[in-house]
Amino acid sequence: MNAQPTFYRERIYPLLFMFIVTFLCILLTAGIYLLTQDRASANELSFTRRAILQAGGVSFENTTAGIELAFNEKIVVEDGYYTTQGPEGTRYIIPLQGPGLWGTIAIMVGLEEDMKTFSGLAIVSQNETPGLGARIEESWFTGQFQGKTAPFVMVEEGTASAQNEVDAITGATRTSEYFLNLTNRAADDAQSIIRGE
Amino acid sequence: MAKNTLRKTFLEPLGKNNPVFVQILGICSTLAVTNKLQNTLVMTLGVMFTTALSSFTLSLLRNHIPSRIRMMVETMIIATFVIIVDIVLKAFYPEMWKQLGPYVGLIITNCIIMGRVEAFALQNKPMLSLVDGLASGLGYTYVLLAIAFVRELLGTGSLWGFRILGSWWTNWSIMIMPPGGFFVLAILIWVIRETIMKEAKA
Repeated sequence: MNAQPTFYRERIYPLLFMFIVTFLCILLTAGIYLLTQDRASANELSFTRRAILQAGGVSFENTTAGIELAFNEKIVVEDGYYTTQGPEGTRYIIPLQGPGLWGTIAIMVGLEEDMKTFSGLAIVSQNETPGLGARIEESWFTGQFQGKTAPFVMVEEGTASAQNEVDAITGATRTSEYFLNLTNRAADDAQSIIRGE
Repeated sequence: MAKNTLRKTFLEPLGKNNPVFVQILGICSTLAVTNKLQNTLVMTLGVMFTTALSSFTLSLLRNHIPSRIRMMVETMIIATFVIIVDIVLKAFYPEMWKQLGPYVGLIITNCIIMGRVEAFALQNKPMLSLVDGLASGLGYTYVLLAIAFVRELLGTGSLWGFRILGSWWTNWSIMIMPPGGFFVLAILIWVIRETIMKEAKA
């Protein structure tokens, strides 16, 4: 007689309870996810477009609408890369990715018509240490590649002077090294991407 | 009587039962996110939201949760609120979401949240648990902001991203690295325990 209520209370009820809680939680999060999905993917698209504009050295207003306007006006989408018209002819904007310290670093590199000189560079995504390696996102770091030609040499933060020198990030030596490898293969990769290999 | 309990519940986590400098909980995130004021604020708001609502929800369910699976239920509910924070940040504050990166998801592992649920919400009424959760979040927030203030100022010479100290200032890079978090937190705990808390006891 007593066995059945115990069995229910000890085995069935916890299972049922967990099942219902899980179901409700998933329903709630899935609902909110679906409600905000459009906004989230629009944000992501906007981030990528902003990176392309920055790499191409195109000026734009930093709002979702401003980014879209500048992108539609100035950027030509090619197969696997982008182009824009700079003062010195066509600029090629190439998506690149490579390993970082913790995860993949994805960047956009803008190259002048000579396919060697950088017109700009922007980070699309990275997972480096916040406050240290993640400083590759800061504009002083990405901006210093502009007008320079690979291969680059990393020097101590704040001491870059020559045409191929860039400042490394203090406290993020490994991230800086990975980033250097990535930018140094940009010119070669650009050739093969544009030739469609 | 009821008013007194409410007052006590609200004030204790801010002072003599502070989750960070008395209970020494949530240290992982204290060390990780406090190198920038802005990130710290968003992170602590996320923690406050999660602690308050998960304490409230679990207190509502407290008489129905089978005790042997209560931790699973707690984790599930806490995780749900954290995912909501993550989704909302991603949709409405994408820049902030990008900067915080993996830390938002790590709110789940903040021991303050589960600690308050286990220690308080499971024995108390929902509204009181909500207040306790909020106050614990607030106690966590102001301590973290104080640490972030010191670390950002000494480590980058700026506050809230704006340059405060002139170019003569040499950034103490150690301050924005994890060891800086340990130093500032330890000094803070020491100062508070030696001064304010000693006086209160005497």
